[in-house]
Amino acid sequence: MPEPIRVAAVGDVHLADDLRGRYAPLLEGISAEADALLVAGDLTQHGTIDEAKAFADEFDAADVPVLTVLGNHDYHSGEEREIAQLLEERGMTVLEGTSTTIETRAGRLGVAGVKGFCLGFSGRSAADFGEPQMKAFTGHGIETAVVLRRALDDLAGEAPDVTVALSHFAPVDDTLLGEPKEIWPFLGNYRLGEAIDEAGVDLAVHGHAHAGREKGLTPAGVPVRNVAQPVIQAAFRVYDVVPRRSA
Amino acid sequence: MNEQLARDLECAIATDPRTHELGIHLQVRGEHLVVSGEVASEERRDMVLDVIREHDTGLEIADHIMLSAEPGPGGPGHERIVPPPSS
Repeated sequence: MPEPIRVAAVGDVHLADDLRGRYAPLLEGISAEADALLVAGDLTQHGTIDEAKAFADEFDAADVPVLTVLGNHDYHSGEEREIAQLLEERGMTVLEGTSTTIETRAGRLGVAGVKGFCLGFSGRSAADFGEPQMKAFTGHGIETAVVLRRALDDLAGEAPDVTVALSHFAPVDDTLLGEPKEIWPFLGNYRLGEAIDEAGVDLAVHGHAHAGREKGLTPAGVPVRNVAQPVIQAAFRVYDVVPRRSA
Repeated sequence: MNEQLARDLECAIATDPRTHELGIHLQVRGEHLVVSGEVASEERRDMVLDVIREHDTGLEIADHIMLSAEPGPGGPGHERIVPPPSS
C-alpha cells in the first residue's frame, strides 16, 4: 500500500500571553512526523491581535505548512479580519469558505475550511422558521454548510489525493459525547456533515467540543476527529491518511 | 443565592473580558458555591475565582476547577486512516 499523507491537527489552543512557550518546543521538527499542521479554530482566548501574535509566535515553530480556520473565540473582539491578515503575513493559511492544496512526498493534500456555526443535529436542530432573529441564527448555520460545500467542490477541481474538511464547529454529534446534550445545538451543525458526505471527503477535523470525544463518523462513514486540545491532551495528533486511489 | 443567580454568574464569567470562559459550571450546595469546569492555566483559574468573589454571593467557594492537561514531550499519537474498499 502506498505511503499515507500525514496530517497533524489540534484545535482550541486558546493562546494568550500566559500560555506562551507551551507549544513551540513541541512543534519544532514536526516535519519528521507530519506533512502539514491543521488548527481547528479558537487560536486565541479573547480574539485580540496580541493573542494572535502569541499564536503566531508559538506555531511559527512548525516546519510544515500551518493551515487554520478561526473559531468563535477568535471573533469575540471583532478583530477576526486583522487576525487572519496577521497569520497570513506570518506565512500561515487561514481558510474561511476556501481551500488550498499542498504537495507532499505522498501526494497532493487538499484542505477545505470553514468556521461553521451552531444549528444542531437530527431531532435537536434549530429550524429556519419564525422571527427574523431566529432565521438569522439558523440562516448563518445553513450558510456555513453551503460555503463549505462550495469550497469542497472547488477543491475537487484540483484533484487532491487526500481531501480533508477542516472546521471549528462539529459536523456530527458522535464526537460530542461527553458534552451536555442541552448544548449540542451550539456545538455543531448536521448540515456541515451533509456537505462532507456529498462532496466525498477522506477525513473531517473539528474542535470546539472540549468535553467531547475524539472519534466519530458521518452518516456516510467519513471519519471525523475532534482535535480540541482538552480532548486529545497533546500538542497535536497525526492522521496518516492513505490516498483513495490506492485502496 | 438561588439557581437563577448561579446561571447569571455563569454568564458573567462567560462574558467578562478577563475570563471569557464558557465551560465553567456553578452549583449551590448548602453554604458552598461549587465551581467546576476546565481552564488552561492557573492564571485563568484565578481570574474566574476573582470574578466570582466580586459578585459577593455570601457562599464559601469550593474550587473544583480542573486544569487542562498540558501537552508534554514524547511522540505524537498516529492513527492510520484507510479509505473504504468501495471508494
